[in-house]
Amino acid sequence: MSTLHAAHYEYADETALLDDYHAKGWTDGLPVVAPTPERVEAFLAAAQLAPDVVLGEVPTRQVVVTAEHVAINAVMAGCRPEYMPVVVAAVRAHLHEKGNCHSTTGTLSGAAQVVIVNGPARVALDVNCTAGCFGPGWQANATIGRALRLVIRNVCRAVPNFLDRASFSTPARYTFCFGEDEEGSDWVPLAQERGLPADTSAVTVASMIALWSVTDFTSRDPEGVTASIAAALRRRGTASDDWLGDNTNVVVVIGPEHRRYFTQAGWSKADVRAALWPLLTAPQQPGEGTVKVAKPDNVLLVAAGGPGMPESWIIFPHLAWAITEPVVPGVTPVPGPIAAVTGGAAR
Amino acid sequence: MSVTSLDPTSGPLPEAEGKAASRDAVVGEVVLGLVSNGLGRSDEILAAVAREIEQRAPVVRVVAVRKPSVSVPPDPIDWEKLINEVTVAVAGFGG
Repeated sequence: MSTLHAAHYEYADETALLDDYHAKGWTDGLPVVAPTPERVEAFLAAAQLAPDVVLGEVPTRQVVVTAEHVAINAVMAGCRPEYMPVVVAAVRAHLHEKGNCHSTTGTLSGAAQVVIVNGPARVALDVNCTAGCFGPGWQANATIGRALRLVIRNVCRAVPNFLDRASFSTPARYTFCFGEDEEGSDWVPLAQERGLPADTSAVTVASMIALWSVTDFTSRDPEGVTASIAAALRRRGTASDDWLGDNTNVVVVIGPEHRRYFTQAGWSKADVRAALWPLLTAPQQPGEGTVKVAKPDNVLLVAAGGPGMPESWIIFPHLAWAITEPVVPGVTPVPGPIAAVTGGAAR
Repeated sequence: MSVTSLDPTSGPLPEAEGKAASRDAVVGEVVLGLVSNGLGRSDEILAAVAREIEQRAPVVRVVAVRKPSVSVPPDPIDWEKLINEVTVAVAGFGG
């Protein structure tokens, strides 16, 4: 007998179901997989979670997010059951108090969420981390990010023109998930830098108000690439406020054509941050924004992308911390002060 | 073949939320609330709005609150002040 709590609906066929789900505003506008009780049960089993396990809350919206909510929306997003523990970790990370769901999903600026996957789960689920990793073509990337967004929409009530007040919004709100290229880099993976043991599967969820390319064709050394990244960061500046304190982050995704200059020179992630820091904290010049990052460890460096284009990408934050959560089937507590916020490991 | 599926939401969206409050006629004296989110010059623009309102309505007192951060709602004590004291409030938002 099913222990699921959600209301059940009967449809003549899947076309009728899709029409009704679209009409009710339960989709992102794209087709969804029918969340049948059997499929939802399979997802809960894959995560070793009971339906009523609370994964987080949005107090300002009087919303409590359960494992069942997440499973239903993960099915709809097109996830495979084995993705469910990663989706759960992403939801928990987003619902961390300083993940700031209310602000990042309601803002006029239309911020998005990015899910970065580390560890064995990335390999097992084929989360793309190399060429094309920001784009379409990989089921895990496409559906894990989409599942988080459907939870945000359907459970957290960030429905456009309701609690989602974005003036333009962004295509990144359909989905945005990629992995770190741990095999293609000798750098310490992001999750490990943030305090998790090596070879732990984990997600880091960061808010994103803008995604900027740092294209530098001319530099042939780490100092030049670092200067280009710093210049782009300074041009726009980063968001923060008093409530978030000193732990807001900016994510810099460094592509292989840039990364190889760091590798050749023997620079670790810590070395890159050490070189970036004085450039980021130099006095503000006319036309520049303010880089509101309190310490070098708050610059999160991720190895990803494919060969060819000498570029890196900056994920500018909205008003939230980047939160790292381990992927642990069966995890039950509600969010608290999870995972480390500081980095520190060399190489 | 029929399909059974599940409601993916945390409940129906309340009809009243997301819509503007009813514009009831104000009778008598007005206590005006101002809710600033602290962004930029929000305090100044709200003060200017208050001056305009004072020319059009019998405002006897202004209750101004400032959110502790643009990211969060007003402090509970400020909510209480607004709920208990003001006739109408103006909120500045953005970001």
